[in-house]
Amino acid sequence: MRQGKADMKDTEPQVLVVPCSGIGKVHGLISREAVYEVTDKRMPGRAETVCLALLVTGDDLAQQQVRTHPCIAVDGCPKLCAKKNIELSEGNVAVSIRVHDTLKKYRGAQFGSATQLSEAGWAATSDIAAEIAEAAERLTAAKTEA
Amino acid sequence: MSRETKVGIIACSGEEIAAGTLTRLATRRVLEMLRPQSTVTLCLPLFLAGEEQERRFARLHPTITVDGCDKLCAKRGTEQYSGQVQVSLNVSDILGDRVAKCHRSARDFDRSDEEAVFLLAERIAAEVDSLSQAIPENEVSPNPGTTSCGCSCGSPPPEANIQLDGKNVAVNGLPLIFAHLHKQGLRPGPGCAEQVLQTASIYHEIRDEDRESYRGALAAAYEAYCRRQGADLLQLSPKNKEL
Repeated sequence: MRQGKADMKDTEPQVLVVPCSGIGKVHGLISREAVYEVTDKRMPGRAETVCLALLVTGDDLAQQQVRTHPCIAVDGCPKLCAKKNIELSEGNVAVSIRVHDTLKKYRGAQFGSATQLSEAGWAATSDIAAEIAEAAERLTAAKTEA
Repeated sequence: MSRETKVGIIACSGEEIAAGTLTRLATRRVLEMLRPQSTVTLCLPLFLAGEEQERRFARLHPTITVDGCDKLCAKRGTEQYSGQVQVSLNVSDILGDRVAKCHRSARDFDRSDEEAVFLLAERIAAEVDSLSQAIPENEVSPNPGTTSCGCSCGSPPPEANIQLDGKNVAVNGLPLIFAHLHKQGLRPGPGCAEQVLQTASIYHEIRDEDRESYRGALAAAYEAYCRRQGADLLQLSPKNKEL
């Protein structure tokens, strides 16, 4: 949404998908890779992401973006940093996806580490990306109807 | 290197840009492989989303921030909510034009990303060493070995440590060594001990009198690692199995 994307009129996304910055466990990596699958492959140009760190520091443009677009927060752990930081920026959290909860259905699976995903990790990532995309399509449709 | 106080590393993790991914991966590399005994980290957004104990991070640890762009969110966020930063690193200052060849998603990773992470991690590790030397000999961290983050950001991965004569010992590079040996097809069991020991001793000082203890402990740790991996080798990316 910023570097190289200053001309927002040409590339204005309809939905913002914001992963957490989780650095300690595989859940954070899955949240980010699922978001990239949506922004880069499933809904390019219609869904974009924003650096969570920009919200932490109160960046004006980032705050404006989360206030003017429906946001999907994708959090790795129960601390819900993405959701909370969007809310603290007075943004609109339309959907909150919790990777930690979603992964419970893959009982016994090894997803990889904080830096690498196993095959099971990539499979779970794609499932979560599908969940995000479905929610994003719903939000996009609602926005169009409005 | 001291001692008890650990150096904190805060990566911006900027999700929008490739340099953000580099900050995160390089930080993990330092934590897991290069300086596992002397570093901790925390997710930057926890300064706002977490509690007071998370906001004390930079007051408890001499802290290095690693930023992916000139906005310096990690530095500014840390100083705004936690405490003074000792060293501020900016990826573009260190890697220059290399960043343009890197990717934000692991799906697209190639050799450029790998090299960039290695270079950045080495620079961070050098700063860790400088800060560590400045820490007074008797300074003790209130929470050695962990940060206060509930998602265990600062804890080394289980394969970074071995149980040696009843003590938990971090071994430099152990996750990388195990991943490499596993990839090479080394089977766990009594036959693996010498090879694991020899490889580990390249990166971690092992005195002659400790070799037998290390041999058994490393073999047991490798067996546990292989059990965790199951039949599948870990892959960094579906496209790049060699990375």
